[in-house]
Amino acid sequence: MDRPAEAEPTGVLETAAAVAGGARSAVQVLTEALERVEAGDGRVRAFLEVTSALAFEEAKSVDARVAAGERLPLAGVPIAVKDNLWIEGRRATCASRILQGFRPSEDATAVARLRRAGAVFVGRTNMDEFAMGSSTENSSVQTTSNPWDLTRIPGGSSGGSAAAVSARFVPAAIGSDTGGSIRQPAACCGVVGFKPTYGRVSRFGLVAFASSLDQVGPLTRNVRDAARVYSVIAGEDPRDSTSSPEPVGDPEGASGRGFAGKTVGFLAEAEVEGLDPDVARNLGDLKKAFRAAGATVTTVSVPRATAAIAIYYVVASAEASSNLARFDGVRYGPRAEASDLLSLYVETRTSGFGAEVKRRILLGTFALSAGYHEAYYERAMSARQLLSEDFDRAFSRVDALVCPSIPTPAFRLGEKTEDPLSMYLSDVFTVPASLAGLPAITLPSGLSREGLPLGVQILAPRLAEEALFAAAGALEREIAFPQELPPGMA
Amino acid sequence: MSFEPSPVAPDMVRKVAALARLRVPDADLPAWTDQLGRILSYVGQLERIPERPAAAEAPLPPTPVRRDVSRPGFGSEALAANCPSTIHRYGSVPRIVGSLTS
Repeated sequence: MDRPAEAEPTGVLETAAAVAGGARSAVQVLTEALERVEAGDGRVRAFLEVTSALAFEEAKSVDARVAAGERLPLAGVPIAVKDNLWIEGRRATCASRILQGFRPSEDATAVARLRRAGAVFVGRTNMDEFAMGSSTENSSVQTTSNPWDLTRIPGGSSGGSAAAVSARFVPAAIGSDTGGSIRQPAACCGVVGFKPTYGRVSRFGLVAFASSLDQVGPLTRNVRDAARVYSVIAGEDPRDSTSSPEPVGDPEGASGRGFAGKTVGFLAEAEVEGLDPDVARNLGDLKKAFRAAGATVTTVSVPRATAAIAIYYVVASAEASSNLARFDGVRYGPRAEASDLLSLYVETRTSGFGAEVKRRILLGTFALSAGYHEAYYERAMSARQLLSEDFDRAFSRVDALVCPSIPTPAFRLGEKTEDPLSMYLSDVFTVPASLAGLPAITLPSGLSREGLPLGVQILAPRLAEEALFAAAGALEREIAFPQELPPGMA
Repeated sequence: MSFEPSPVAPDMVRKVAALARLRVPDADLPAWTDQLGRILSYVGQLERIPERPAAAEAPLPPTPVRRDVSRPGFGSEALAANCPSTIHRYGSVPRIVGSLTS
């Protein structure tokens, strides 16, 4: 790769410290990030749009703020943002034809908080259309490749964000997670991905997919960087009535605290016959790593976790069918030619949505329709509550719960596009935490025999992010995950 | 992975599509029917989970509400900038009266 010698990428904390301390300027950091994108994104295609001119304006503003003595926790940190979050003046299309050309009038709350903290927005990243997918192949714009093997998926739906961090284009990216859309791609691409407790981060300015599940969170190269970005975006917001007023605490400090004397429960339902042999071997190594960190390791059961995918695809699709009813060609996006209003709705939606989005709208509409509502939606909601109670019981015995993040390493592009159900099962380990509203983090935990990243996921009780970051930081220090550039970028 | 008999027929897919304001072309109908049937058969495993007894349900937390305080809107120019069709400063749509039938 043709990379300038001075462009050795650093993480969030190092970049912010260097810019805040005057050792580097935000403009210099941005220039180097854009050079890396220019040199490498032709292969990865993580970005839908690189907004260099606006980013330079932001970087200059950060340099001026630093010179004026402002203390900025993300001073000059280049950040990539998933295409379903509003950034004022940039497009936000959810990688969908139906939102082509849409420009939000203001920042999402998470974006506004990043901006206030000194972040610089490099561009918009690719995603599965409306965040529906596990491979980013459902984007209506382009396919993104995994930097570890360009013939494989980056995961999804925040696949562009995960690939951008993995390829070292940027030290951090923002994604959204409804059933695993931060954690699953982060695991596929060998980076850290964190989904906060439901309610920790405002969703104002996040295009809604399934409102009882959606959360915004960071993807970074290490646990402390994730804690820093999370601390900036978390907290109550009057514009999202589900946002929590509970104090955020000190997750960054917690990530260095250690986990000695605590109890870790490995999820019994994950260690079943037929588990991928690389993933199974990795779980054994992780138990040793937790013991080396001074934690007690045990096994806990969350019986209804095995039904999580079935619950999720009813609940999330039902909510999506309602949320996406607003896309009809009237107020924004392209409008299909039609002679009357009903045809305008039908033709705009039929031509504007891709196959997976239509499939989920149909599934959700079916689950909510008269005659099927009780058998599907109400039953799923009842099972969701039972699953949540299973987690409460498990957390009465352990401080953190552990399971794989992905059932197999990243699969090949095109391998599952014709089999939606098989694709859905890629999220088997991430969906349970989403349904219960729990905080969950994935970190790279080893390599498969083919040299692809494996991921471990840690779950904690609701609002217990400090404990989660303590466990993740302790485990990260025990795992010697390779830090060099992924093979696809070498 | 276990599968129950498919609860979906082509007419059902057409009906649901109409409710969702979508059109399923005839050529795509068999594939859509098959895929939705497979997904719903998988979802059928929820029947084996006993329903939560109603008596055990905890009361729902109160719905959080925003403070009823006005704040500046986007302004009509910002809204019109994203509108697919405008006449003067107003968004335009096809005629509504007498056209909305399903």
